[in-house]
Amino acid sequence: MRASNFIKSKRAWIAIALMLIVSPVFGIILADMVGYHEPLDLAAEAAGLRDVSEEISWTPFFDYSVPGLPDELGYVVAGALGVAVIVVTGYVAMKIVEERKGCDACLKAR
Amino acid sequence: MLWKKSRQPLTAENVSLLTVLSAAIFVAQMLNWPLPGGTSLHFVGGALAGMLLGPFLGFASMTLVLVVQCLLFHDGGITTLGANILNMAVIDVLVGYAMFKLIVDLTGNKRSSRVAGAFLGAWLGIVLAGLACGLEIGLSPSFGFPVGVTVPVMVGWHALLGIIEGVITVLVIEHLYLRLPLGALPSTSLGVVKR
Repeated sequence: MRASNFIKSKRAWIAIALMLIVSPVFGIILADMVGYHEPLDLAAEAAGLRDVSEEISWTPFFDYSVPGLPDELGYVVAGALGVAVIVVTGYVAMKIVEERKGCDACLKAR
Repeated sequence: MLWKKSRQPLTAENVSLLTVLSAAIFVAQMLNWPLPGGTSLHFVGGALAGMLLGPFLGFASMTLVLVVQCLLFHDGGITTLGANILNMAVIDVLVGYAMFKLIVDLTGNKRSSRVAGAFLGAWLGIVLAGLACGLEIGLSPSFGFPVGVTVPVMVGWHALLGIIEGVITVLVIEHLYLRLPLGALPSTSLGVVKR
Protein backbone atom coordinates (compact mmCIF):
# COMPACT_ATOMS: atom_id res chain seq x y z
CA MET A 1 0.00 0.00 0.00
CA ARG A 2 1.31 3.46 -0.93
CA ALA A 3 1.04 6.06 1.79
CA SER A 4 -1.13 8.28 -0.45
CA ASN A 5 -3.69 5.47 -0.51
CA PHE A 6 -4.31 5.61 3.23
CA ILE A 7 -7.27 7.90 2.66
CA LYS A 8 -8.67 5.33 0.20
CA SER A 9 -7.96 2.35 2.46
CA LYS A 10 -11.20 0.35 2.73
CA ARG A 11 -9.82 -1.61 5.67
CA ALA A 12 -9.13 1.56 7.68
CA TRP A 13 -12.58 3.03 7.00
CA ILE A 14 -14.32 -0.27 7.83
CA ALA A 15 -12.49 -0.30 11.18
CA ILE A 16 -13.51 3.32 11.82
CA ALA A 17 -17.14 2.57 10.83
CA LEU A 18 -17.27 -0.47 13.14
CA MET A 19 -15.96 1.59 16.05
CA LEU A 20 -18.60 4.23 15.30
CA ILE A 21 -21.42 1.67 15.23
CA VAL A 22 -20.50 0.18 18.62
CA SER A 23 -19.66 3.57 20.18
CA PRO A 24 -23.13 4.15 21.79
CA VAL A 25 -22.71 0.91 23.76
CA PHE A 26 -19.75 2.54 25.52
CA GLY A 27 -20.55 6.25 25.31
CA ILE A 28 -24.28 6.04 26.18
CA ILE A 29 -25.57 2.66 27.40
CA LEU A 30 -22.74 1.54 29.70
CA ALA A 31 -22.09 5.15 30.75
CA ASP A 32 -25.72 5.44 31.94
CA MET A 33 -25.45 2.08 33.72
CA VAL A 34 -22.53 3.22 35.89
CA GLY A 35 -23.88 6.78 36.24
CA TYR A 36 -20.91 8.29 34.47
CA HIS A 37 -19.82 11.82 35.30
CA GLU A 38 -16.59 13.44 34.14
CA PRO A 39 -14.25 13.20 37.19
CA LEU A 40 -12.88 16.71 36.70
CA ASP A 41 -16.43 18.09 36.54
CA LEU A 42 -17.20 16.37 39.86
CA ALA A 43 -14.01 17.77 41.41
CA ALA A 44 -14.90 21.24 40.12
CA GLU A 45 -18.40 20.96 41.64
CA ALA A 46 -16.86 19.85 44.94
CA ALA A 47 -14.67 22.94 44.75
CA GLY A 48 -17.79 25.08 44.48
CA LEU A 49 -17.72 25.77 40.73
CA ARG A 50 -20.92 25.69 38.68
CA ASP A 51 -21.12 23.85 35.34
CA VAL A 52 -22.28 26.44 32.78
CA SER A 53 -21.24 24.51 29.66
CA GLU A 54 -24.82 23.87 28.50
CA GLU A 55 -25.80 27.50 29.11
CA ILE A 56 -22.96 28.89 26.97
CA SER A 57 -22.96 26.12 24.35
CA TRP A 58 -22.63 27.38 20.74
CA THR A 59 -23.26 24.08 19.00
CA PRO A 60 -26.44 22.07 18.30
CA PHE A 61 -24.33 18.92 18.71
CA PHE A 62 -23.55 19.48 22.39
CA ASP A 63 -21.89 16.43 23.99
CA TYR A 64 -22.23 14.29 20.81
CA SER A 65 -26.01 14.63 20.55
CA VAL A 66 -28.15 15.49 17.52
CA PRO A 67 -31.39 17.42 18.05
CA GLY A 68 -34.45 15.22 17.42
CA LEU A 69 -32.56 11.92 17.51
CA PRO A 70 -32.46 9.42 20.38
CA ASP A 71 -29.18 9.55 22.33
CA GLU A 72 -27.77 6.30 20.89
CA LEU A 73 -28.42 7.18 17.24
CA GLY A 74 -27.40 10.79 17.83
CA TYR A 75 -24.05 9.60 19.20
CA VAL A 76 -23.34 7.64 15.99
CA VAL A 77 -24.50 10.48 13.71
CA ALA A 78 -22.47 13.03 15.69
CA GLY A 79 -19.41 10.76 15.43
CA ALA A 80 -19.90 10.43 11.67
CA LEU A 81 -20.19 14.22 11.44
CA GLY A 82 -16.91 14.64 13.33
CA VAL A 83 -15.19 12.13 11.03
CA ALA A 84 -16.59 13.98 7.99
CA VAL A 85 -15.18 17.31 9.23
CA ILE A 86 -11.76 15.68 9.79
CA VAL A 87 -11.81 14.06 6.33
CA VAL A 88 -12.84 17.27 4.55
CA THR A 89 -10.14 19.23 6.42
CA GLY A 90 -7.52 16.59 5.56
CA TYR A 91 -8.67 16.40 1.94
CA VAL A 92 -8.46 20.17 1.48
CA ALA A 93 -4.98 20.16 3.08
CA MET A 94 -3.93 17.34 0.73
CA LYS A 95 -5.13 19.27 -2.32
CA ILE A 96 -3.32 22.43 -1.17
CA VAL A 97 -0.09 20.46 -0.65
CA GLU A 98 -0.44 18.79 -4.05
CA GLU A 99 -1.09 22.14 -5.73
CA ARG A 100 1.92 23.73 -4.05
CA LYS A 101 4.07 20.81 -5.17
CA GLY A 102 2.81 21.29 -8.73
CA CYS A 103 3.57 25.03 -8.58
CA ASP A 104 7.11 24.34 -7.29
CA ALA A 105 7.71 21.89 -10.17
CA CYS A 106 6.43 24.54 -12.65
CA LEU A 107 8.78 27.20 -11.25
CA LYS A 108 11.74 24.81 -11.43
CA ALA A 109 10.94 23.90 -15.05
CA ARG A 110 10.99 27.61 -16.10
CA MET B 1 20.10 18.96 14.54
CA LEU B 2 17.83 16.31 16.07
CA TRP B 3 15.01 18.86 15.93
CA LYS B 4 15.70 19.48 12.23
CA LYS B 5 15.94 15.74 11.51
CA SER B 6 12.59 15.08 13.17
CA ARG B 7 10.72 17.36 10.72
CA GLN B 8 8.91 15.61 7.91
CA PRO B 9 8.11 17.17 4.57
CA LEU B 10 4.47 18.12 4.24
CA THR B 11 3.54 15.78 1.41
CA ALA B 12 0.12 14.63 0.22
CA GLU B 13 1.09 11.10 1.39
CA ASN B 14 1.78 12.28 4.93
CA VAL B 15 -1.41 14.36 5.05
CA SER B 16 -3.36 11.32 3.80
CA LEU B 17 -2.07 9.20 6.69
CA LEU B 18 -2.63 12.06 9.14
CA THR B 19 -6.29 12.33 8.05
CA VAL B 20 -7.07 8.63 8.49
CA LEU B 21 -5.21 8.43 11.82
CA SER B 22 -7.00 11.55 13.12
CA ALA B 23 -10.40 10.09 12.19
CA ALA B 24 -9.51 6.79 13.88
CA ILE B 25 -8.29 8.52 17.07
CA PHE B 26 -11.40 10.73 17.14
CA VAL B 27 -13.70 7.68 17.01
CA ALA B 28 -11.53 5.65 19.41
CA GLN B 29 -11.87 8.49 21.95
CA MET B 30 -15.67 8.11 21.74
CA LEU B 31 -15.34 4.55 23.09
CA ASN B 32 -15.51 5.34 26.79
CA TRP B 33 -15.02 2.27 28.95
CA PRO B 34 -17.15 2.93 32.04
CA LEU B 35 -15.68 2.00 35.40
CA PRO B 36 -17.66 1.24 38.56
CA GLY B 37 -17.94 4.40 40.61
CA GLY B 38 -19.12 6.58 37.75
CA THR B 39 -15.89 7.28 35.92
CA SER B 40 -14.51 5.97 32.65
CA LEU B 41 -11.39 5.66 30.52
CA HIS B 42 -10.75 6.00 26.84
CA PHE B 43 -7.79 5.70 24.49
CA VAL B 44 -6.03 9.06 23.95
CA GLY B 45 -3.71 8.23 21.06
CA GLY B 46 -1.20 11.10 21.27
CA ALA B 47 1.79 8.81 21.69
CA LEU B 48 0.56 6.58 18.84
CA ALA B 49 0.28 9.64 16.59
CA GLY B 50 3.85 10.62 17.51
CA MET B 51 5.17 7.13 16.79
CA LEU B 52 3.40 6.87 13.42
CA LEU B 53 3.69 10.43 12.17
CA GLY B 54 6.62 11.96 14.05
CA PRO B 55 6.31 14.93 16.41
CA PHE B 56 5.23 17.66 13.97
CA LEU B 57 2.53 15.79 12.05
CA GLY B 58 1.55 13.98 15.27
CA PHE B 59 0.93 17.39 16.85
CA ALA B 60 -1.17 18.44 13.84
CA SER B 61 -3.19 15.21 14.00
CA MET B 62 -4.03 15.49 17.71
CA THR B 63 -4.74 19.23 17.42
CA LEU B 64 -7.22 18.54 14.62
CA VAL B 65 -9.00 15.95 16.80
CA LEU B 66 -9.13 18.26 19.84
CA VAL B 67 -10.35 21.28 17.83
CA VAL B 68 -13.17 19.24 16.23
CA GLN B 69 -14.19 17.87 19.65
CA CYS B 70 -14.19 21.35 21.15
CA LEU B 71 -15.82 23.40 18.39
CA LEU B 72 -18.33 20.88 17.09
CA PHE B 73 -19.32 19.05 20.29
CA HIS B 74 -18.33 21.44 23.10
CA ASP B 75 -16.17 18.59 24.42
CA GLY B 76 -13.31 19.91 26.52
CA GLY B 77 -14.42 23.53 26.39
CA ILE B 78 -12.96 26.52 24.57
CA THR B 79 -11.15 27.94 27.61
CA THR B 80 -9.35 24.65 28.23
CA LEU B 81 -8.48 23.98 24.57
CA GLY B 82 -4.97 25.37 25.00
CA ALA B 83 -4.28 23.16 28.01
CA ASN B 84 -5.72 20.11 26.27
CA ILE B 85 -3.51 20.76 23.21
CA LEU B 86 -0.45 21.17 25.45
CA ASN B 87 -1.19 17.94 27.35
CA MET B 88 -2.35 15.63 24.55
CA ALA B 89 -0.95 17.13 21.32
CA VAL B 90 2.44 18.31 22.60
CA ILE B 91 3.48 16.36 25.71
CA ASP B 92 1.86 12.99 24.88
CA VAL B 93 2.98 13.12 21.22
CA LEU B 94 6.58 14.20 21.97
CA VAL B 95 7.10 11.77 24.84
CA GLY B 96 5.62 8.85 22.89
CA TYR B 97 7.73 9.60 19.82
CA ALA B 98 10.97 10.16 21.76
CA MET B 99 10.60 7.09 23.98
CA PHE B 100 9.76 4.76 21.08
CA LYS B 101 12.64 6.06 18.97
CA LEU B 102 15.11 5.99 21.88
CA ILE B 103 14.37 2.37 22.80
CA VAL B 104 14.37 1.06 19.21
CA ASP B 105 17.56 3.01 18.40
CA LEU B 106 19.34 1.76 21.53
CA THR B 107 18.27 -1.88 21.47
CA GLY B 108 17.85 -2.50 17.74
CA ASN B 109 14.81 -3.36 15.72
CA LYS B 110 13.49 -6.48 17.41
CA ARG B 111 9.92 -7.29 18.23
CA SER B 112 10.69 -6.95 21.93
CA SER B 113 12.20 -3.49 21.35
CA ARG B 114 9.20 -2.27 19.39
CA VAL B 115 6.80 -3.64 22.02
CA ALA B 116 8.79 -2.11 24.88
CA GLY B 117 9.17 1.21 23.04
CA ALA B 118 5.49 1.44 22.13
CA PHE B 119 4.30 0.42 25.60
CA LEU B 120 6.64 2.65 27.59
CA GLY B 121 6.19 5.56 25.18
CA ALA B 122 2.40 5.39 25.46
CA TRP B 123 2.48 4.84 29.25
CA LEU B 124 4.95 7.65 29.99
CA GLY B 125 3.20 9.98 27.54
CA ILE B 126 -0.10 9.58 29.39
CA VAL B 127 1.48 9.85 32.84
CA LEU B 128 3.34 13.06 31.97
CA ALA B 129 0.23 14.49 30.28
CA GLY B 130 -1.66 13.68 33.51
CA LEU B 131 1.11 15.36 35.54
CA ALA B 132 0.83 18.49 33.38
CA CYS B 133 -2.96 18.50 33.81
CA GLY B 134 -2.56 18.09 37.60
CA LEU B 135 -0.19 21.08 37.68
CA GLU B 136 -2.49 23.20 35.49
CA ILE B 137 -5.63 22.66 37.56
CA GLY B 138 -3.71 22.72 40.87
CA LEU B 139 -2.13 26.07 40.02
CA SER B 140 -5.38 27.52 38.70
CA PRO B 141 -6.84 30.07 41.14
CA SER B 142 -10.37 29.01 40.05
CA PHE B 143 -9.96 25.37 41.10
CA GLY B 144 -10.27 24.73 44.79
CA PHE B 145 -7.74 21.91 45.16
CA PRO B 146 -4.00 22.60 45.58
CA VAL B 147 -1.18 21.02 43.56
CA GLY B 148 -0.45 18.70 46.49
CA VAL B 149 -3.84 17.07 45.86
CA THR B 150 -4.27 17.36 42.08
CA VAL B 151 -0.84 16.08 41.02
CA PRO B 152 -0.85 12.79 43.00
CA VAL B 153 -4.45 12.06 41.94
CA MET B 154 -3.85 12.76 38.25
CA VAL B 155 -0.49 10.96 38.10
CA GLY B 156 -1.77 7.97 40.06
CA TRP B 157 -4.86 7.44 37.92
CA HIS B 158 -2.98 8.04 34.67
CA ALA B 159 -0.30 5.54 35.70
CA LEU B 160 -3.09 2.93 35.80
CA LEU B 161 -4.91 4.14 32.67
CA GLY B 162 -1.54 4.26 30.88
CA ILE B 163 -1.35 0.46 31.04
CA ILE B 164 -4.44 0.18 28.80
CA GLU B 165 -3.11 2.97 26.54
CA GLY B 166 0.19 1.09 26.27
CA VAL B 167 -1.43 -2.24 25.38
CA ILE B 168 -3.61 -0.67 22.64
CA THR B 169 -0.62 1.27 21.23
CA VAL B 170 1.50 -1.91 21.10
CA LEU B 171 -1.26 -3.79 19.26
CA VAL B 172 -1.72 -1.02 16.66
CA ILE B 173 2.03 -0.50 16.13
CA GLU B 174 2.73 -4.23 15.70
CA HIS B 175 -0.29 -4.69 13.42
CA LEU B 176 0.81 -1.83 11.15
CA TYR B 177 4.47 -2.89 11.26
CA LEU B 178 3.59 -6.36 10.02
CA ARG B 179 1.01 -5.25 7.42
CA LEU B 180 2.49 -2.16 5.80
CA PRO B 181 5.40 -2.28 3.38
CA LEU B 182 8.62 -0.41 4.17
CA GLY B 183 8.36 3.26 3.20
CA ALA B 184 4.59 3.47 3.63
CA LEU B 185 4.97 5.54 6.78
CA PRO B 186 6.70 8.94 7.06
CA SER B 187 10.41 9.03 7.87
CA THR B 188 11.56 9.61 11.50
CA SER B 189 8.68 7.48 12.74
CA LEU B 190 7.87 3.76 12.63
CA GLY B 191 8.54 4.08 8.89
CA VAL B 192 12.31 4.29 9.36
CA VAL B 193 12.50 1.15 11.48
CA LYS B 194 14.38 -1.30 9.27
CA ARG B 195 12.96 -4.78 8.70
